[in-house]
Amino acid sequence: MAKTIKETLLGTLVHGEEILESIRVSRSISQDKIPVGNIADKKVAALHPERLSLVVADIVDTGKNARIIRFAGADGYLPPFEAGQYINIFTEIDGVRTSRPYSISSSPRQRAYYEITVARTAEGFVSDYMIDKVQIGDRFSANGPAGVFRYQPVFHSKKALYFAGGSGITPFMSMIREVLEAALDRDIVLLYGSRTPEAALYHDELAAYAEKYPNFKYHLVISEPAEGWQGETGFINADLIARLVPDYAERTAYICGPQVMNDFCKKELESMGVPAKRIRREMFGARKDIQNEPGWPEGLTGNEVFRLTVGDRVIDARSGESILTALERAGVRVNVCCRSGECSLCRVKLVSGNVFLARGMLRRYADEQYGYIHSCKAYPIGDVVIQL
Amino acid sequence: MEQYDVIVIGAGNGGLAAAATLAEKGKRVILFERHNIPGGCGSSFRRGRFEFEIALHQLSHMGTPENPGPLREQFARYGILDEIDWIEIKELFRVNFPDGTGVSLPADREKCVAHLCKEFPAEAEAIKEYFKVVYDFCDESTAFAAQSAKSTGEPGALKKLIMKTGFPRIYPTLAKYALKSTQEVLDEFFKDPKLQLALSAYWCFMGMPPERFPFAILAKCTYFYTETKPHYLRGTSMMMNQAIMEAIGRMGGVVRLNCGVKRIMLENGAAVGVVDENGVEYRAKKIISNISPLTTYGALLAPEEVPESAREYLKPYTVGISALTCFIGLDCTPEEIGFTTSFTLNYESLDANKDFRDAYQLLPDHDPLVATCYTVDDPSVSPPGTSIITAGTLKYSAEWEKLTPEQYYEMKYEAGRRIVARLEKMYPGFTEHIEEMEIATPLTHMRYLNHPGGAIYGYEQDRMQSVFFFPAESKIPNLEFASGWVTSCGFGPNYQYADGVASKIAAEV
Repeated sequence: MAKTIKETLLGTLVHGEEILESIRVSRSISQDKIPVGNIADKKVAALHPERLSLVVADIVDTGKNARIIRFAGADGYLPPFEAGQYINIFTEIDGVRTSRPYSISSSPRQRAYYEITVARTAEGFVSDYMIDKVQIGDRFSANGPAGVFRYQPVFHSKKALYFAGGSGITPFMSMIREVLEAALDRDIVLLYGSRTPEAALYHDELAAYAEKYPNFKYHLVISEPAEGWQGETGFINADLIARLVPDYAERTAYICGPQVMNDFCKKELESMGVPAKRIRREMFGARKDIQNEPGWPEGLTGNEVFRLTVGDRVIDARSGESILTALERAGVRVNVCCRSGECSLCRVKLVSGNVFLARGMLRRYADEQYGYIHSCKAYPIGDVVIQL
Repeated sequence: MEQYDVIVIGAGNGGLAAAATLAEKGKRVILFERHNIPGGCGSSFRRGRFEFEIALHQLSHMGTPENPGPLREQFARYGILDEIDWIEIKELFRVNFPDGTGVSLPADREKCVAHLCKEFPAEAEAIKEYFKVVYDFCDESTAFAAQSAKSTGEPGALKKLIMKTGFPRIYPTLAKYALKSTQEVLDEFFKDPKLQLALSAYWCFMGMPPERFPFAILAKCTYFYTETKPHYLRGTSMMMNQAIMEAIGRMGGVVRLNCGVKRIMLENGAAVGVVDENGVEYRAKKIISNISPLTTYGALLAPEEVPESAREYLKPYTVGISALTCFIGLDCTPEEIGFTTSFTLNYESLDANKDFRDAYQLLPDHDPLVATCYTVDDPSVSPPGTSIITAGTLKYSAEWEKLTPEQYYEMKYEAGRRIVARLEKMYPGFTEHIEEMEIATPLTHMRYLNHPGGAIYGYEQDRMQSVFFFPAESKIPNLEFASGWVTSCGFGPNYQYADGVASKIAAEV
């Protein structure tokens, strides 16, 4: 066959003929490179499957208005995760498809199951369902494991100081179990704030660990102590930290608990001169009393109903409820994962109208410029038009 | 069924530009992206107080407002030029050597030549001659491209013969250098390995060591970055790509985020539409794929639909390199730890080709280390008193793919630890200042880019697979490609290439 003009001219270049020849050879004798299917997806799936298929393998009633649920992989496999990470579990309750992120509380060193703990909350749409309805054998899909609330060995201290509040103990259970059971060279002090000793989750297990392992110290701090309580009381403030953890300055601090507690502990640590890099905080979900958030517009109660327009649909949206929740209630599918403002998967464009943006939303600069919001932490405070 | 003039698959740099150009020309265009944000490699992510750039180091082809480059003109057509704060970077890069010395190159031909002559006086004449060759090469290349654009179809045998004889005479620099490797040319001109390394740094932008890196690409990088000045922008490359996405909508195009394409529909072997991940069908006269040809053919078509000619055509092409990158937020200014140039290439020895061999290993021990401190160019990129540094090495994914899931996190942190240790050696006190840090391995790139091999630059850009041999042809009628897999990788070249593909298609539909 006659050479094309391209080949003809390339042949005049230094190395031209030899390179053309190499290409001809490899075209005739090398292997077919076109794969079947999406090989990138397939190769990554063992670490980051697009979706987890979970089946409830075991349920333990803690007797503390909280339930421990253990999920096995529906196909027998669960991907590895880092202690402290969460999974976002999808549910369909009364026709509403929604999801909730739960920290995994089991150790990452075993993956027969992921354990989560669901505590009952006031008006807890999903927590009621998880505690009252879910049975062994039920199937769920989830995304994750995800999240960056974890030990980062490159720059975190081997000595840790954990601040847990209420059910915020769950990611720490995973971390503690891993460190102690795998005998890792790390040291942990846990300050666990609870209303009453009875409400403290995993108390017996934690107390037993503290007894057994010299590299784990455990202080339960009770805010509403009953007569006769001998342990620590009050809030976890600077005085308490300095007294119980004299080497706090050498430690990386991790905080997980209700937003108010989370903010409080951070402020106390800062007042003690602990720099930002040594304070790691788990994000927190949308608070139910958003009208108490600083900056909430005066005069709004959280109960006003506004018009939320998305495409050709107009939805009722309550000011006290996130746009994400309003969309889910109306059956609109939104991509979602952390539900805490951080991951940006539920990002939508605000076309018009006013929203209240709760704290903890990690927005990109471009999103601020072009009006994109994370719908999980955005509240309608007037009629709103958005675009998915 | 929705009917469009053109469907674009993937909102990476090429997909965005293709859709924008088509919308600008009044075509009905829809762009699908499976992620929740546009940009592909050209985006960002947040950690704590920081927003990290994922891919862009320096934007080429921008030019200055007075002397606009092609990319500036393209963005002006999209109406996004004034929405973005562009930052001109004064230095091309800095190369640091293991003995603690280094060379910085100003983004100006005369200053650059003068500076190098001062640093390497024994080779002053060769330096001047080298820059002349680089510039002649690019001038001839531009002239030849303009000439080729005028001709249509295959010339006759006689004309071919005339062109064959004429070509080396009219374009002598092209004929001599266009298919040489960087190392071959540098050896021809220079003795001092430091000088060679100072001039060859752009190899890391294409992921090929100097022995395999086409001199043609080095010459063009040197020329275009110098003449159109390297640029960065406020708000990371995400800002630029979000701006293009907004422009697409403004000009009448449609963008679907969170909506991947599941398959391409063929009729009589020609592409006629796509099915999205929700099972909805869309039809169009043309389809532009911004994803790799491998995934386009392999995942969007059934095996029996893939033309034999496509299999044959892609055989010489090997999936290119990925990267191992640390994204680091520091709680100090760049000055405090001694970072003065935004873009640095750091060597463990004076033999880049030897050190590059570690790219096939799991961990980054001798691999040349690319470190970029965005704060040097734009102090507002992170809160006052902090800085952002991304540091990493090029890495093939093979060894990372061999890890069991159980080994993965440990190895990922070990890799991060080694990179930080190397930074600590160069910038004492570095580690103590880390406030946020995320590590991206080849598998991370594979996950988010969805590229085979986690490739960040598409196919291996050596002399057989790039410059004159990019696999740009589609073997399916009405399907075209526009991505870093089929043209010179990098932001500027990709935007421009996609603009060209889309302009051609706009004239046909």
